Amino acid sequence: MALTGLEIYKQMPKKNCGECGVPTCLAFAMALASGKAALDSCPYVTEAARENLDSAAAPPIKAIKFGKDSVLGDETVLFRHDKTFYHPTTLLISVSDTLSDDELNAKIEEIKGLEFERVGLQYSIDGVAVVQESGDAARFAKVAAVVAEATDKSLLLLSSDPEAMKAALAPLASRKPLIGAATADNYEAMVNLAKENSVPVIIKADGLDALEELVVKAQALGYKEFVLDPGTRTPVDTLANLTHIRRLAIKKKFRPLGFPVIAYTSKTEPMEEIMEASVYVAKYASAVVLKTSKKAHLLPLMTLKQNIYTDPQKPIQVEPKLHSVGNVDENSPFYITTNFSLTYYSVEGEVETSKIPSYILPIDTDGTSVLTAYAAGKFEPEKIVEAMNACGIADKVKHRNIIIPGYVAVISGKLSELSGWKTIVGPRESSGIVSFSKSLT
Amino acid sequence: MLIFGERINGMFTDIGDALRNKDPKPIQYWAVKQQEGGAHYLDVNSGPAIPTHERVEAYEWMVNVIQEVSELPLVLDSTNYDAIEAGLKVCKRPAIINSCPAEQVKIERVFPMAIQYNAGIIGLTMDKKGIPKDAENRVAFAMELVAAADEYGVPMEDLFIDPLILPVNVAQEHAPEVLESLRQVKMLANPAPRTVLGLSNVSQKSPDRNLINRTYMAMAIASGLDAAIMDANDDDLVDVAATCQILLNRSVYADSYLKVFRAR
Repeated sequence: MALTGLEIYKQMPKKNCGECGVPTCLAFAMALASGKAALDSCPYVTEAARENLDSAAAPPIKAIKFGKDSVLGDETVLFRHDKTFYHPTTLLISVSDTLSDDELNAKIEEIKGLEFERVGLQYSIDGVAVVQESGDAARFAKVAAVVAEATDKSLLLLSSDPEAMKAALAPLASRKPLIGAATADNYEAMVNLAKENSVPVIIKADGLDALEELVVKAQALGYKEFVLDPGTRTPVDTLANLTHIRRLAIKKKFRPLGFPVIAYTSKTEPMEEIMEASVYVAKYASAVVLKTSKKAHLLPLMTLKQNIYTDPQKPIQVEPKLHSVGNVDENSPFYITTNFSLTYYSVEGEVETSKIPSYILPIDTDGTSVLTAYAAGKFEPEKIVEAMNACGIADKVKHRNIIIPGYVAVISGKLSELSGWKTIVGPRESSGIVSFSKSLT
Repeated sequence: MLIFGERINGMFTDIGDALRNKDPKPIQYWAVKQQEGGAHYLDVNSGPAIPTHERVEAYEWMVNVIQEVSELPLVLDSTNYDAIEAGLKVCKRPAIINSCPAEQVKIERVFPMAIQYNAGIIGLTMDKKGIPKDAENRVAFAMELVAAADEYGVPMEDLFIDPLILPVNVAQEHAPEVLESLRQVKMLANPAPRTVLGLSNVSQKSPDRNLINRTYMAMAIASGLDAAIMDANDDDLVDVAATCQILLNRSVYADSYLKVFRAR
């Protein structure tokens, strides 16, 4: 990201000595901004200014990697429609070290079971947060070890005691857990521990002013693998802080807050907790730590995360397989459409309204609409016949009728010839399906 | 795209006469008519119609009579800063000061005044020596205005840089330099300062003025123009402004976008 003339000018010594070969510092800043000069030609620029100018060219939010493929941060927009959100929120289930061994095992089993398949996509929880609440360093290390042994998911170790953290982290460092939290009281020990083990560390302070101050101090220790925690635990304050941090990092290139943010749910009632977590997923949290580990609570949250982090520039597609609406039988009509989600759901909605159980086969057109696909050669009779054979429709119905969208009536002859089925040209608009379907019987 | 209606200017005979006779009607007529055309601001210029010593008073009178009939904010257009200040005192909505060149003495007068009255500033990319020919020097002047805004605490969005377009029939080589200046001005700060042109100037004494105006405006908007002091009653011109909003994805498209643009 290029720097603006004003940003460079602010870092200049403002001596207007002309030794750089340009008459004024302002003109030199302009020359730098347009790439016509090098910073080295100014003998008076300070190291701090040089550092500021160098770091301003870095991405606005640092990418922090930990555990098993968890990537936090590295985002560039406030609204997903401006470009896209790149790195989906890492969802972690918290496990307290105060649980008995039996409770711990039950919890682990529950977490292991959090795998879903929905609309052809595989969902799973990303990680486990081991929280020290026992005050016992040995217990914390033991629970961390048990969790690590039981699952290969990303790990977050939470303790305010650097000694306990050290003991728990030592055998797990190769798993590259995220650790936390470094606070004003313990940050030197925590950040150094993170640095020695090359793991990222959460910087936690109450409010943005304190957070900025602590990040600057922590950076002075020569480490920058940070995740931020603005300390708030109510949804309204957390939402405000998440927004401020994202905005300052991107709009103002405010370096101390140019890190991913972790959020913790506060609600104990699971429905409320999931709603709270949904806000954080939508509003910039790079990681969210949850209490509930029930499948029913987590599926909606994981679906939301999946949806929020899709690329809005890419058309959303449905799975190009045979779909059925209602209780289909061997007499059910058979519709053809494309796998562009808008197109498919328009057709599906109307077919449903017709109350006639039907089959719908969306052809894989890379998620483009009927006319777009037709114009691009992606909705050809050959391809449709291939998809019909692949889905086995011939064994499911005893009739031999294909209903095609009215806009591509022109392919009906060729399609009949190739498939050996009778091609019926449906209405141009899916809104005509209801009345059309009545004419079928 | 903001339209600053240019018509209330003492250089026009009807406005000049109105000023001399203290007749508010022509001024009020144009205030309403320009608002209907699609103006977002009304430029107010007493011009040379009245003697220098009466300008402060005349200016205040103009602002008041306009505000009797129009809710639109004003662009106070004068080289007499006392007249502008008199206008600012009676403005009901935050106004824009038109204008301030990149000269230290004028910056020191105008920028604090803008802060005091919460006004915007049109900054001209020129100094005492005149208008530079190339984009590079225009942008250098713009940078001085940007640095001044930062120093005095004027929000960048309230600074409108005017890279000064000249008539194409006599200063043709300026037109592309101004487009390049518009592009570069947007890189000077973040958020970027806004930009403005005295659009009608491009076609002074040329035939087919409207064609030249609207063609150049479309080019300038694509280069980063945010506002133009222009003929708000040239329907074709306003249509082009509205269409540019759509083609640059600044307003959400609707079939009725021309109407919507004027209704805002």
